[in-house]
Amino acid sequence: MGSDWRNSPDAADYSVDELMVSVLADQFHNGDQTTNGMASFIPVAAFMLARLTHAPDLIWLASSGGLDPRPDRIPASTLEAPLWRDSIMYIDQYTDFWNFVLNGRWIKKFCVGAAQLDQYGNANNSVIGTDYHAPRVRLPGTAGLADMGSIGKKLYFWNPNHSVRSMVEKVDFRSAAGYLDGGDARQRLGLEGGPQLVVSNLAVMDFHPVSKKMRLKSVHPGTSLEEVQAKTGFDLLLPEDPVPNTKAPTQVQVDLIRQSIDPDGMRKREFRHHT
Amino acid sequence: MMEKIKSLAEAITLVKDGDVVALQNMATQAAPMALVRELIRQDKRQLGLVVLVGGMAVDWLAATGVINRLIGAAVSMEQFGLCQQYRKAVEHGRIRVEEISETILNARLGAGARNLPFLPTRGGIGSDLIALNPDNLKMLDDPFGGFPVLACRALVPDVALIHAHRADRFGNIQYEPTVLWPDIGIMPKAAKKVIVSVEEIVDSDMLRRHPDRTILPGFMVDAIIEVPYGAHPTSFPPNYGYDSRFHRAWTKVSRDQEATTAFIERHVLVPGTQQEYLDAAGGKPVLEKVSRWEEN
Repeated sequence: MGSDWRNSPDAADYSVDELMVSVLADQFHNGDQTTNGMASFIPVAAFMLARLTHAPDLIWLASSGGLDPRPDRIPASTLEAPLWRDSIMYIDQYTDFWNFVLNGRWIKKFCVGAAQLDQYGNANNSVIGTDYHAPRVRLPGTAGLADMGSIGKKLYFWNPNHSVRSMVEKVDFRSAAGYLDGGDARQRLGLEGGPQLVVSNLAVMDFHPVSKKMRLKSVHPGTSLEEVQAKTGFDLLLPEDPVPNTKAPTQVQVDLIRQSIDPDGMRKREFRHHT
Repeated sequence: MMEKIKSLAEAITLVKDGDVVALQNMATQAAPMALVRELIRQDKRQLGLVVLVGGMAVDWLAATGVINRLIGAAVSMEQFGLCQQYRKAVEHGRIRVEEISETILNARLGAGARNLPFLPTRGGIGSDLIALNPDNLKMLDDPFGGFPVLACRALVPDVALIHAHRADRFGNIQYEPTVLWPDIGIMPKAAKKVIVSVEEIVDSDMLRRHPDRTILPGFMVDAIIEVPYGAHPTSFPPNYGYDSRFHRAWTKVSRDQEATTAFIERHVLVPGTQQEYLDAAGGKPVLEKVSRWEEN
């Protein structure tokens, strides 16, 4: 257990997946509820890490179906039964899951992985190419993402492959609403919540409170502002002060991730070049 | 009471060319694969498919030219990757996709089940899904003065294909307590006909011991077929896990047309019975592994 997590020094040796997990874990607190979808190893690792350290009472609904599960480690799927092992409740995905989620009072935070993300946090998991019915690449599809974008959730994006292909000025298809065209566009449609943070393999970004444009928050150690900008398909807003380095994960966090949460390294599967 | 037991071949004759078929499925979970194989064996054509999240079943139906349209939220085999045959068919315009979100699908099927013209949701507002489906999705002013909602037109599939744990011969269907996907909750109630494969057919007295586990009454069901491991190679909690070796094998061949044809021949067209199908998939050692939820 991570009982000594408070005083743990920064890890001397860590990889970027572990950094991303620790940054994401910091966004989830006691009193929050969250859930995960398919192929979501980084978010699931973050929830498990938060629960073992600062947020033991973070409520996690695994795979949209198994409440408060106790998997012994992250299995090969974040949708299948081994993840929802030892749940306290099964949720009927039709009658209950969306009742929990649509209502707006519960499960207010959700992590999103997307093939394309644009400068206003709109996400695309549907098609690459401009002709929807004859796309260059047919992607899996929006699944529940289009819902999560429009029902008041705070969205946390993770992107293990930060590049001009995944971070684009405008998405080819808006599978889920972010801040739309920016400014108060969300509010005018009556949509609450919206994108909060983007955690990539290079940097952490948030959104400007007024323009809603993506803004650099910190760059990961070993990366530069120039590299992040060169690998982003639009001009990132910069913070007023010099861009800080992303805080490294602590030794306790890294030990927990490697030894108990994900000893099989499932989190590394999401990276195009395994870290 | 009417008896509902049929053979696979008899049951699938209820599906007509051109039908809209609602298919129970999550990425690697709970797909009625024996029913899907029979659709292919009977060489159905121009079917429309309704799925929440489709997996290998969709890929097979795409590879064999059975479907020409899909209404659904996603198609993916999760850890085993994109469905390559489906992907290619869509990219070449052979399958038209009407992509909707999960709450839009639930609203459309819910309206179908309740004989309403539409049900509203807030999911999908602000996305490009609305412009993509102007015949079925329209923004609607809230008659009570709030923000607009998204009206989702009723969807009534011609047939729903389901796999469940057990049934009696009258078609009362039981499901073991597990995470339930919307396919079970709403698809059969929206569809005009319902075909259910089950792991086992049992005496009605067995069902009466756990009436809380009965999810569909016989009067809503048109045909039941006993098919042990009828969801293989997808998982069917709590009975068995997904067959990872079989998924990997398909993922590998599905990038090549000749290999795809040979695979479909070997695993879909040639086996005349469920036992022959299971034997071709590796037989008892494989089934023992998936029953223990082991990766293979």
